[in-house]
Amino acid sequence: MKKFLALFFTLSMLMAVFCGYAGSAEAAENADKVLTVRTSSSMQSTDWAQTTHLADAQILWQNVFEGLYGMNEARGGYYHSLAKDVKISEDQLTYTITLVDATFQNGEPLKASDVVFTYKRALDIPRLKYLTSMLDTVSALDDKTVVFKLKYPYSAIEHTFFSIMIYSEKEVKAIGDSFGTKPHKAGTGAYYIDEYDPASSVKLKAHEGYWRGAPNIKNIDVLLITENSAAVIAYENGEIGYMHDAPTSEWEELVRASDGRNKMIKGNNVRTFYINYESKSNNAILANPLVRKAIFYAIDKETINKISTGGYGSVADEYMPSEYVKTSPPASAGGFEVYKYNPEKAKSLLKEAGFTDEQLKAGVPVGTILTYGATTGEKAKCAQVIQSDLSKIGLKSEVQVGDINMTSPMFHSYEYDLGIYGDSGNFDFNNIRQMVHSESKGMDLVRYKTDDSPFDWRRIEELLDLGVSTSDVEKRVVYYTELWKIVMDTATILPLINMPIGVVWGADVDPGAINPSYYQFFEFSWK
Amino acid sequence: MYIYIVKRLLFLIPTILGIILIIFAVMNVTPGDPGRAILGVSARQDEVDALNHQLGYDLPFLQKYVNYIKNIVTKGDFGISYFTKQSVFDEIWPRFVLTIKLALCGILLSTLIGVPMGIYAAVKQYSLYDTIPSLIAFFIASIPGFVLGMVLLYVFSLKLNILPSYGAKTIRHLIMPVFAISISAAAQNMRFTKSSMLESVRQDYVRTARAKGLPESTVIWKHALKNALLPVVTQIGLNLGLLICGAVVIEKLFSLPGIGGLIVDRISFKDEPVIIAGTILIAVCFTIVMLIVDLVYAYIDPRIRAKYSRTSTK
Repeated sequence: MKKFLALFFTLSMLMAVFCGYAGSAEAAENADKVLTVRTSSSMQSTDWAQTTHLADAQILWQNVFEGLYGMNEARGGYYHSLAKDVKISEDQLTYTITLVDATFQNGEPLKASDVVFTYKRALDIPRLKYLTSMLDTVSALDDKTVVFKLKYPYSAIEHTFFSIMIYSEKEVKAIGDSFGTKPHKAGTGAYYIDEYDPASSVKLKAHEGYWRGAPNIKNIDVLLITENSAAVIAYENGEIGYMHDAPTSEWEELVRASDGRNKMIKGNNVRTFYINYESKSNNAILANPLVRKAIFYAIDKETINKISTGGYGSVADEYMPSEYVKTSPPASAGGFEVYKYNPEKAKSLLKEAGFTDEQLKAGVPVGTILTYGATTGEKAKCAQVIQSDLSKIGLKSEVQVGDINMTSPMFHSYEYDLGIYGDSGNFDFNNIRQMVHSESKGMDLVRYKTDDSPFDWRRIEELLDLGVSTSDVEKRVVYYTELWKIVMDTATILPLINMPIGVVWGADVDPGAINPSYYQFFEFSWK
Repeated sequence: MYIYIVKRLLFLIPTILGIILIIFAVMNVTPGDPGRAILGVSARQDEVDALNHQLGYDLPFLQKYVNYIKNIVTKGDFGISYFTKQSVFDEIWPRFVLTIKLALCGILLSTLIGVPMGIYAAVKQYSLYDTIPSLIAFFIASIPGFVLGMVLLYVFSLKLNILPSYGAKTIRHLIMPVFAISISAAAQNMRFTKSSMLESVRQDYVRTARAKGLPESTVIWKHALKNALLPVVTQIGLNLGLLICGAVVIEKLFSLPGIGGLIVDRISFKDEPVIIAGTILIAVCFTIVMLIVDLVYAYIDPRIRAKYSRTSTK
């Protein structure tokens, strides 16, 4: 028995030593492994507040920095991140937030004063006004409690809590004016920026003291590869371990190469068609609601999807996908017109508007379809399909594709006839405010409030205010359904398609749940 | 000779002033502004205007031009990038070095391949040693660099997996880009060398050298080639300039952080400081290359050297 026990313990010890060695060897190997991630545009800054592109936000937001709230579309939207507990006063004007026990990448503990510092800094940035305009005061009650006082009830403040990322006051002040131009450890996120070269790459290293636990993947290289074909070859060659928003034009090739390690999902973005009812083209033909509705009914969204995304996208009947934005009115409920493709109805509307068969046969000019983004060409293809659709019902149009810098001022100063525009990253339907509220001049594309406006803009603005006056999602959806019905009845904004988001990853990576907008490396692991 | 060099270098000043003026003028008449490009389509116009003001973009054209020149001359300051807020010089210098490295390697390879092949083809005219390389050169010269780059990526990176497909970390990373940019230049060098050599070998002094009973190798290398090299040197110099300015496609294809790619990227953001400084560097470099070509001329041809000396002493 003794011999048996001795043998048993000896074998057990050997096994334990062997397993321990194997485990530590694996851990050591993983510690050196690098996950390479492709980005298609150079990172503008290491300060989240100085970046304006989604590709930058995908790296900085939620990986390097964190807000009081996080966003995970695959898991139902906003969630508490650095906010441990949120108490809302009865009048919905005071939010008292208790912070989690987190540490910044520089080792400093997260304090309420850091949150106050961050929000004060954000309040000074004009570009972030749309996120901060409802805030009256932000103050620290104690080291772990922050009190936000609002000027008016604003239930969409979740978006503000998500969008403002918390800085380490000490780190930002230590770096000074050059903050954003170099690596730093000013965030609470799972990774800090170790090297930063806007022209080639950003190297991230794991924040071992991350409050949710040390990340599984320790090193991440975010590489700038602008050419899609080069990125595809690099992926096929095993040089890229994760590619978000992979080129749809190369999707079949990527699917072949990825051996099942791919996913194509509906993007939280929309390509939208606009009609400027104030256009003076052809004796202000677009001021006629019958003509505008005829144009909407003439548009074949299925063909647009097929031509511009290779069929990987999806027809959009909602401005924001209701599966991602819980306050977005669902088209399936039938609360608003969606203008299903109906060329016959379009023709009869034009006849009702007084156009004769001869006129329609000759082609009635309705102006120019303006769009931008010549590099990918996907919006230009949308425009060409619409031009063709309009010609089928007897309307003549031209297509103009320009650089975004050139077309954007034309859109925002209402100097266009018809236009195709993109919008993305909306997580609350209140964001529609920037497109339909008169305060949003410079961001909107259609001016609903004018001295002789044919539309009920007062009700639109009233419904926007009602929408943020309550936290009750069902009530908010009711308000927004009415709002969107009014907008759709104006026949000025028509959602066309949701862009697809293709994701591929390497054989040794598990990317966890795939999100359309943001990815969190913390949820990634080595296989 | 030294005075000639100084004169040529001084000539750089009005050249650069002219280049800056042209770029400012072009940037001024093209639509768009950095504020809109940086803040994106959804930014409010007043925010865009505020940023343009902060960047000094809304100043009158001439004032911007004068301020820019003044800052370079008095402070050696090329400004701050509108896009990244980093010092322009810090941003462009490493990229410029990479582009120069790429161009020099490219020109070296193209010369090493093209010139000997051209000489050989001329010496062995109408033989297979002439016909086959000439056909290959004709074929290669008509292939755009990016097509060749894609083929190289497919073969050496994807299929054989022996070379990395992007970046510029090691020498291995530069093999395919250098080959892609140099092969077309090599074909041009070969054709130039061949036609120049053919012209040279028919000259009287070559015939005289042969009549004197000199060995064929001496006739070719010492008498014919030296005179045939003048147009080849010009071609190599021009190619070097073109490789510095025109490596952008290859830089993009292989994701190399070079100056050309940087300028192209920043044009869409109207990042004037980077675009202007990058263009100045390229222009200065091109002018210096042309100066070196002239000096090599003088080294090769004593007649030109004598002419420079006479000009200098006048």
